[in-house]
This record gives sequence, structure tokens and C-alpha cells, in this order.
Amino acid sequence: MSGAQRIVDGLEAAGVTLAASVPDTWIGKLMATVRESTKIRSVDAAREEEAVAIACGAALAGGRGAVLIQNAGLFNCGGVLAGLVDLYRIPCFFIVSYRGDGRDPVYYHEPKGRVTEPTLSAWRLPFAIADRTADLTSQVARGVERAVDSRGPCVLLISGEDLA
Amino acid sequence: MTPRKPLLEALVAMLTPEDVLVSCLGANSRYLPHLAVSAPVFALCDSMGAAIPLALGMALQRPDRHVIALEGDGSLLMCPNVLATVAAARPSNLTALLWVNGHYESSGGQRLPAAPVEWPALATGFGITNVERVRDVPSLRTAFPRARAAKKPALLVVDVAFDPNEPIPPYSERPDEIRARFRIP
Repeated sequence: MSGAQRIVDGLEAAGVTLAASVPDTWIGKLMATVRESTKIRSVDAAREEEAVAIACGAALAGGRGAVLIQNAGLFNCGGVLAGLVDLYRIPCFFIVSYRGDGRDPVYYHEPKGRVTEPTLSAWRLPFAIADRTADLTSQVARGVERAVDSRGPCVLLISGEDLA
Repeated sequence: MTPRKPLLEALVAMLTPEDVLVSCLGANSRYLPHLAVSAPVFALCDSMGAAIPLALGMALQRPDRHVIALEGDGSLLMCPNVLATVAAARPSNLTALLWVNGHYESSGGQRLPAAPVEWPALATGFGITNVERVRDVPSLRTAFPRARAAKKPALLVVDVAFDPNEPIPPYSERPDEIRARFRIP
């Protein structure tokens, strides 16, 4: 089973009903698998802040929302994270492609990789790095549950190799 | 040009418990606690531009409810791209009202960039085909039921007067209170 399928299995197992996304190369591949799910409504957003608000809307309406974006897109989301997710204490699970870390072969992503974890820490966003050698499905499901239990954000950073 | 309050009162009078209302920050959110609204209300006090995508998420999650989003022209000018997202998602149960007064009312009444934004044309260009311009209470009373019955996403562009001396009440509900009270039956 592919890593992408194991991630989607985790979203489904945790009861995610809606996944809002802005793609990059990796997230686009993951979303192709999400679209095959009969349990998760896929929503293509034009910009990442929208995706966060869409997922929050699903949560407020009784579902569970997830946001699938690149780390550059997460950087766009400081305002909506503070003024919506945190202020109103809404569960919001993120899967974020960790571009520019040591595993990314594309050189121009390096600046984003250098600031990803410091930004997550500065914004006090709970996060984990996907471990494809372990139970990725459970890791995803735990991330969703953590967002629900804490009524706030939770981020899982993934790399392209996690999708294989 | 019509002041905001009678337009908002006319809209609220048309809502039912089967609707859901999402309000942008600012005057609408500040007036709503003082009105008898029969629908569940989620009122923002921050996060400009979030009302329409928030309402979209609710509409997709709850297709059995009609979700109405109130957004300001200053907010939508920051992220008009959301109109493309709405058009692509094609919810049959979402109506957005864009309150156009040309000012950032809640931040001190500064003027928006002096660009002649033609909102109906912009929305149509993004793929929202159900767009009407509303200039007074009678036209709102006819346009809103049409939008709600259309079974496709709708945008009502509401021209509203800007009055720097309008006695808008302050925020009277905290976000945690809004969040705790908000339930869609």
C-alpha cells in the first residue's frame, strides 16, 4: 500500500469529512488519492487561508476538516490561524509538505525548509514529522484527534518520499 | 444610499431556523447580537476575508441548510480569489452578501484603494453566475429569496451608505461565547 493511501486511511479512520487543499507537487499527488475517497469531500482552494477557513467551517458544522498545503502556503496562514483557529478554538488538522528539508531534491525550496520548524514553533503550532517506517495511518489519525481534543491546530509535515 | 442597519434588519427578518448566518468582522457582527435572528449565527471579530470560505465549509458539510455569508468589500478585496473557489465547489446552498461602502469601516473609516472595482463583473468573471446588485431594502427583499431558491452559489452586491458617525454598537459577545453557542441543529 502506498504512503499516500496510508495517509488517507488515517484521515478516514479519524472521521475527516472534508479536505481543503492548495497543491504543490507532493500535495497534488496526495490529493489524487484523497479524491478517490468516498468519505472525504475534496475542496480545491485558490489560496491557503481559504482552505483553513473552509476546513474550520466543516468543523463548526459538525464534521472534521483537514488542510493539505505546502509549507510556503502555511506561512501565508498566520492571520487566519490566530484570528480564526486559535481565537475561536476550532480543530484544524494540517498536512503540510515539508519542502526544502534535507530530503527535498529541489534546491530552491531550501529557504522555506530552513524556516519551517522555527515558524511552527514560534506560532506555537503542535507538529510532528511523518514517519513512514512506522504506522503512518495511526500517526495521521492521532494528529486529527489531537486537533479535536485540543480544539486547535495540529500539523503533520510530510516529504515526497512518504507518499511512495 | 441606504444605511446598513435597515438592510441588515430586512435580511434578518427573512432568515429562518433552516438557515445559517456567518458574519464578517465589523459592523454586521456588532449589530447582530442586538437583533432577533432565528438562524444560528457565527460572528467573526477578526480574520478579514474568512466569512465566505468559512460559510463554504459549512455549506458543503451541511447541504440540508442554506448558509448566508456577510462580507465587506475591504475584506473581499484582500482575497477575491475565494470567488473562484466557491464557483468551483458549486454549493447549491450558499449565498454571500457583499456590503460595499468603499471604506474600512471598523478600522477607522479609511478609504479602500481608489480603484473602480466592478464587483458583479468580477464575480461573474470568477464563475459566479448568480449575481445581483442590491441598492435598497425593497430590492433586497426580492433578491434574497431569489438567491436562496436558486440552487447555486449566489452573490448579492449590496451598496450601503458609509457614515463615519454611525452609532455602531461595540462587540458584545466574546469569541468563546460565540463558539459555545453556535450549533446547527
